[in-house]
Amino acid sequence: MTHTVIEKIIQNHTQQDVFPGKIIWMTLDVRTARDFGGPNVVKNFQREYGDQPVEANKKTFFTFDLSVPACSLKYADNQQICREFAGKKGIKVYDVDEGIGSHVLIEQGHAVSGSTVVGTDSHLNILGAVGSFGQGMGDVDITFAFKTGKTWFEVPETVKVVLKGEIENSVSAKDLTLFILRHLRTRKAALKAVEFYGEPAKNLSLAGRITLCSMVTEMAGIIGFVPEVNDGFIKEVRGLSGITYEPLLADKDASYAEEIEINVSGLTPQVAAPFQPTNVKDVSELQDVSIDSGFIGSCTNGRTEDLRAAASVLKGRKVKQGVMLKIVPATRKVYSEILEQGILKDLFESGVVLSNPGCGGCAEGHIGLTGEGETQISTGNRNFAGKQGKGQNYLASPEVVAASCILGRIASPEDL
Amino acid sequence: MNKGKVWKYGDNVNTDVIFPGKYTYTPMEPEEMASHALEDLDPDFASRIKPGDIIVAGRNFGCGSSREQAASCLKYAGVQAVVARSFARIFFRNAINQGLPVVISEQAPGKLTQGDEAGIDLDNNEIITQKERIRFDPLPDFIKEILDAGGLIPYTKQKIANGKREKSN
Repeated sequence: MTHTVIEKIIQNHTQQDVFPGKIIWMTLDVRTARDFGGPNVVKNFQREYGDQPVEANKKTFFTFDLSVPACSLKYADNQQICREFAGKKGIKVYDVDEGIGSHVLIEQGHAVSGSTVVGTDSHLNILGAVGSFGQGMGDVDITFAFKTGKTWFEVPETVKVVLKGEIENSVSAKDLTLFILRHLRTRKAALKAVEFYGEPAKNLSLAGRITLCSMVTEMAGIIGFVPEVNDGFIKEVRGLSGITYEPLLADKDASYAEEIEINVSGLTPQVAAPFQPTNVKDVSELQDVSIDSGFIGSCTNGRTEDLRAAASVLKGRKVKQGVMLKIVPATRKVYSEILEQGILKDLFESGVVLSNPGCGGCAEGHIGLTGEGETQISTGNRNFAGKQGKGQNYLASPEVVAASCILGRIASPEDL
Repeated sequence: MNKGKVWKYGDNVNTDVIFPGKYTYTPMEPEEMASHALEDLDPDFASRIKPGDIIVAGRNFGCGSSREQAASCLKYAGVQAVVARSFARIFFRNAINQGLPVVISEQAPGKLTQGDEAGIDLDNNEIITQKERIRFDPLPDFIKEILDAGGLIPYTKQKIANGKREKSN
């Protein structure tokens, strides 16, 4: 039987025959909970299983990334509930200093090609960027995973997306991602795994793969993979985690639900307007929109490469008076890199607000909330009403957010 | 079979409008969770829903965050089932794991309107209205078993208990 990438990974984690539509029990290599969802996992676990041990405490982690350090008493209590449970069970906590959990899992080598990982983060499918089947789940699923090391899953069909044409250097992975989202909307990849092919996909760096794979959630997909890799990506993964990336390819005659070609030639910067991530337009259509604030970071665009791209626009320039540009590195590792490479200085001197690593503006409660009537442009992945406060949110690349904050309106770097 | 009133909504109903993020930080009792259900989509819903009512929506119901409360607040509010053209996967799982029936139907959202009376027959895979019976594809047996048991954790506990009983027999 031939398999797509997701089918291969699942087949290696179950005794049952794997084909689309089949519900299987799958073993998990790693399970995590965050400061969001985590306290409920602890509460559920104690209610259902009392003092029993977790299934594999060395493969179980807490990752605090939402409110770091806790900015409300509720979060402080929640984090402490997790810490105390972790202490009793011998579970490692990546605490409030470490950054976004999904990124920490990649950096620490916990999420590797061919592995299965679940956690209370709806963007855990980011791990598709390194060939790992990551999946966000609710707190009952994660409680069960903590106890048993297993989960049930309906094997999804796979869609093959082939990117045709060449893209200019000035076009970022976020523009490519938003453009794909513009095509697939929440229909074509819904409830399916996606494999991205074509040179523009193959050439993506680790950060670019993270950007693309993170927004498969907004395409309503299960997970995205970029099976063809480049040497730079392999080097990056090894440099970060010390682990050699194992190629993970679909079988040659694997069967797909659909093959979709998207021509990306001539792509220009893309922006998603409120209140759906699929509401994507060319930046040139939105140049009359004035903005009050910007946010650069999140699991979608918080890597060193993203902050370097922002700094390349901001260096020697100033954020417009009255505009607040908030920058949050994804992880402590990213923080150290922007420090060593001088990126932090360029950002600071342009007048941005720089925070410690974490999720930043995507969650209510931490840096980056908007007030009623405020318009923000963000590198995040969702712009639902109420998601980041009462304001309106536009989604774009780090370069576009930086340029917009310099001009006080939605703009591309070319407008500077 | 229980009949209830239809609450009708559109496509892409996301978890932020089903259960606002600001309430996710504090553990809440079921009644309090129910009182915030659909708060940012339909402020009347929580005060007017009656046990057995049915939510009918379009595509991608429950998209967004992984919050379990998006499913549990509807269950605690008394929702009999959610019927939609499609569901976001995390919400779909959460609903099943909570024992809240989720029905996928391409036709039903076009045929049912706000305030209609309807019932759901999960054994015969039909939505029953005053006018007609709307067939839907059956849920897989495995998912039906979880729903019948009242959720994932009760389901596996039953399985383990049954296994022990079989062994000792």
